Amino acid sequence: MSHEHRIGRREALVRLSSAGLAVAGVATGALGFADRRTASAAVSALRDWRVATPGEGARAVAARGANPADNVRRALTALGGVERFVKRGEVVLVKPNVGWDRLPEQAANTDPRVVAEIVRQARAAGARRVVVADISCNDPGRCFDRSGILAAAGQAGAEVLDGRHVKMVSANLSGAAAGLQVFAPLLEADRVINVPIAKHHGLSRVTLGMKNWFGVLDRGRNRLHQDIDRCLAELGAMFRPTLTVVDATRVLLGNGPQGGSLSDVKDVGAVAVSVDPVLCDAWGAVQLGVDPSSLGFIRNAERAGLGRSDLALVREIGKA
Amino acid sequence: MTPVRLVRVVWQATFLGLFLWLLVRLAEGDPRAFPYAVFQQSSPLSSAGVAFAARTLPPALAVGGGVVLVLTVVFGRFFCGWVCPLGTLQQLASVVLSPRSRRESIEVNRWRPWYALKSWILAFMLAAALLGSLQTGLLDPLSLAARGLAAGVWPLLPGGRPVPGGWLAASLLVAVLVASRFVPRLFCRALCPLGALLALFARNALFRLARRDGACTDCRACRFACQGADEPLGAHRPGECHVCLNCVGGCPEGALAFRFLGSISAPERRPDLGRRWLVGGILSGLGAAPLLRAGGGREVASPAMLRPPGALRELEFLERCIKCSLCEQACPTGALQPALAQAGVEGFWTPVLVPRRGGCEFACTRCGEVCPTGAIASLTATRKTGYDGGPPVRIGTAFVDRGRCLPWAMATPCIVCEEMCPTDPKAIWFERVNEAARDGRMLVLQRPRLDPARCVGCGLCENRCPVGAEAAIRVTSVGESRDPLNRMLLGG
Repeated sequence: MSHEHRIGRREALVRLSSAGLAVAGVATGALGFADRRTASAAVSALRDWRVATPGEGARAVAARGANPADNVRRALTALGGVERFVKRGEVVLVKPNVGWDRLPEQAANTDPRVVAEIVRQARAAGARRVVVADISCNDPGRCFDRSGILAAAGQAGAEVLDGRHVKMVSANLSGAAAGLQVFAPLLEADRVINVPIAKHHGLSRVTLGMKNWFGVLDRGRNRLHQDIDRCLAELGAMFRPTLTVVDATRVLLGNGPQGGSLSDVKDVGAVAVSVDPVLCDAWGAVQLGVDPSSLGFIRNAERAGLGRSDLALVREIGKA
Repeated sequence: MTPVRLVRVVWQATFLGLFLWLLVRLAEGDPRAFPYAVFQQSSPLSSAGVAFAARTLPPALAVGGGVVLVLTVVFGRFFCGWVCPLGTLQQLASVVLSPRSRRESIEVNRWRPWYALKSWILAFMLAAALLGSLQTGLLDPLSLAARGLAAGVWPLLPGGRPVPGGWLAASLLVAVLVASRFVPRLFCRALCPLGALLALFARNALFRLARRDGACTDCRACRFACQGADEPLGAHRPGECHVCLNCVGGCPEGALAFRFLGSISAPERRPDLGRRWLVGGILSGLGAAPLLRAGGGREVASPAMLRPPGALRELEFLERCIKCSLCEQACPTGALQPALAQAGVEGFWTPVLVPRRGGCEFACTRCGEVCPTGAIASLTATRKTGYDGGPPVRIGTAFVDRGRCLPWAMATPCIVCEEMCPTDPKAIWFERVNEAARDGRMLVLQRPRLDPARCVGCGLCENRCPVGAEAAIRVTSVGESRDPLNRMLLGG
C-alpha cells in the first residue's frame, strides 16, 4: 500500500496514554469494589458511661415530697452532687420513658417535672448538650407532646428528639438483642442518665430501669419478651448508665405498661437516684408493692454482678 | 413585566406556597388546626359531585364552592389563572420546559375544537355522580395535585413514608406537567372537569375582555402568552379565558382591556360542544356507574378492608370521598393508605387502614379533622375513645390466630398485643396456664384472649405482633361502628 497512514509521535502518545488511563480507571474501580464490606460491618461499640465511684457512701438515695423537682435535687445532692457525674463540656443523654400517648396523671410516662429537673441539673454542671430521647410505642409526636416532656425538657434547655428525629445505627449488642439497632444519641453521649417510671408490667411484673432500655431499640425489640428475665439482665449488662433515676412520683399498679385508667395510679411522691441500676430497680419494685427478690430479672442481674438488690444500701432522706 | 402581570405572578406564587405549606404542615403532624382542606373545599366540582352523589351538600363545600362560583360569575375563570396550584405548576412548567419561538407560541395558543373534551369528561363524571359513583376527584386538579405531592413526592423527601401506588399518583402529576411543554396548560384546556364547570359560569362573566374598535392591527401578539387559548383576538371565548391578562399587557396598541360589562366586537360564539359527544358523555357516565358495580360489594363492607375511624357507611363514604389523599397525609402512623384494589374499581384511591403498616392511635382524630367532604366524620378524642360515656368508635375487631400465636402455639412467652392494647379495660386479657414444654419443663404461659365487646379494632396489636409476615392477631372490619349490618355480637 502506497498510501499507508503512519501516525505521528504525538498521536501515539495520546492513544497510549488514554488506553492506559482507561485500564487504570477500570482497575481502580474493580479493586475498590472487590470483596467490599457491606454497611453491616460498620458496628459501633457501646461505651461504659459510669463514673468511678469511691467505695464509701450511699449507692442510692431516695427523697420524698410533694415537689418532684425538689426530690430529684435533694437526692442528687445527697449522692454527692451532679458535678460528680457530669463534667463541663460533656454530652448528656437523658433517657426517660415516653412510650405512650398518655397524660402525666395516667402515670404511663416519666413525670415531665423529673425529666426537666435532671436536664437543668446537667446544664448547671456545664454539659455542652443535653439530649432527651426515646423510641415510643405509640406515635412519637403524640407521646412527646401529651406526656408534657417535649415542653418541659425543651424549656429546661434540652434537645428533645422523638423517634422521627433520631437515626438508628448498628451497635455491638450481644445475646438475644444481637443484630438490633440502637438510636444514635446513645452513641454520641458521654454520660447517660436512665429515667424510668415505676410501673406494673404484664410479663416482667414491673418495668423499671433495665426494662427502660427497650426505648433505645426499635425494630425487633418486641421479640425480647420471649425470655424477658434473661433479656432484661442482658440489656443491663450492655447498657451501663452514669445514673439511674427512678420516678415514683406517681406509679402504675395495674394494666401496665400502658395503663390508661386513673384507678390504677397511686401517688407515691418519691424519687430515687442511684449509681447502681439493680438497687434502683429493687427500690422501685418496693414502691409498687412487689418483693424484689421475687423478680427474675433482678435475681439474674445481681447474679451477673450488675449491682446489689439489698435495700439497706438505699439511703432514705425522707421529706425536706 | 407589567404591573398587572407582577401582581398576578406574586398572587399565584402565594397560593401555590400556601397549598404546599398546608401539605407540609399536615405531614409534619402540626397540632394546630389550620384549614388543611380549604383548597379541596373550594372546588365547585367537588361540591357538585358530592351534592349529586350523596344528595346532600356539606356546609364547607357549599361555602367554598359557592364563593368560587359567585366570583367566577363576576370575574370569569380567575380561579384557573390566579389560584389553582396545578394551573400555576403547569404554567411554570410551560415556561421552564418550553423551547418555543415567539411565532410558535402564537400558533400553539390557538383554540382547538378538541378542547371541548373537558366538557364531555365533566358530563360523564356528573352523570356517574348522579347514580352515586363519585369519580370527580380522579381529575379534580386540587385532588390530583395533593395526591401527586402527598403520595408521589413526599415519600422521596426526608421524613416521608412510602405510599403504595405513589408512583401512579406521581406519574399522573408529572405527565400533566410535561404535557405543558408541548401545549401550555394542556390539562386545563382539554381535560380539567373543574375548568369545564367554571367555564359554564364564566361564559357570561360580568368582567371580561373588551377591545377598542379600530385599534387592532391584527398582529396577534395577544395570543403570545395566552393561557386559556381563548382567542382574545377575534372570536373571544370568555368561558376559556383564565383571566391571566397577559393579552392586555401584551397588546402593543393598548387595544385590550379587562372591564366591567366590556363588549367584544366580534359576535360571541356558543361553546361548540358537539351535541352528540355531550350526550355520549352523559350516557356513558350513566352506564359506567352500574357497570363498575357489576362485581358487587358496595353495600356490604369487605371484611378484610378497614376504613378510617369515623368513616361513614361504605355506600355514603363512597358518595363523598374525593380521593384527595389528605387523610393519608395526616395519619401519624402511616396506617391510612390509598386503596388500589381493596375497595373495588369505584373505591380506587379511597383510604383504607392497613394495621401492618400502622395502628390507629387511640386518641388521634386527624383524618376526620382534615377530610374536606365529611366522608370521615370529624370526631373529638373523647368521642372516639368513648371517654364521653358513649360507645367508642370501632374500626373492626381483632382475632387471635391460635395457630400462629407464640404462647398459644409455640409455648413461648409474649405479651406484646396485650401491652399495646389501648382500651380501658384492655380488650386483650391473659389466660394463665401451666404447660409442659417439649423437654418436660413446666412453663407458665399467658395466652392472649380477646374481649370483642372491648376491642375497637385499632390494629396496634397487629402492627406490633412479632410473628412475621401474617401477624398472629389480625383485625377485620366486623364490629365496625359505621355499619349496623357488619356486626358479630348481639347488641354490639
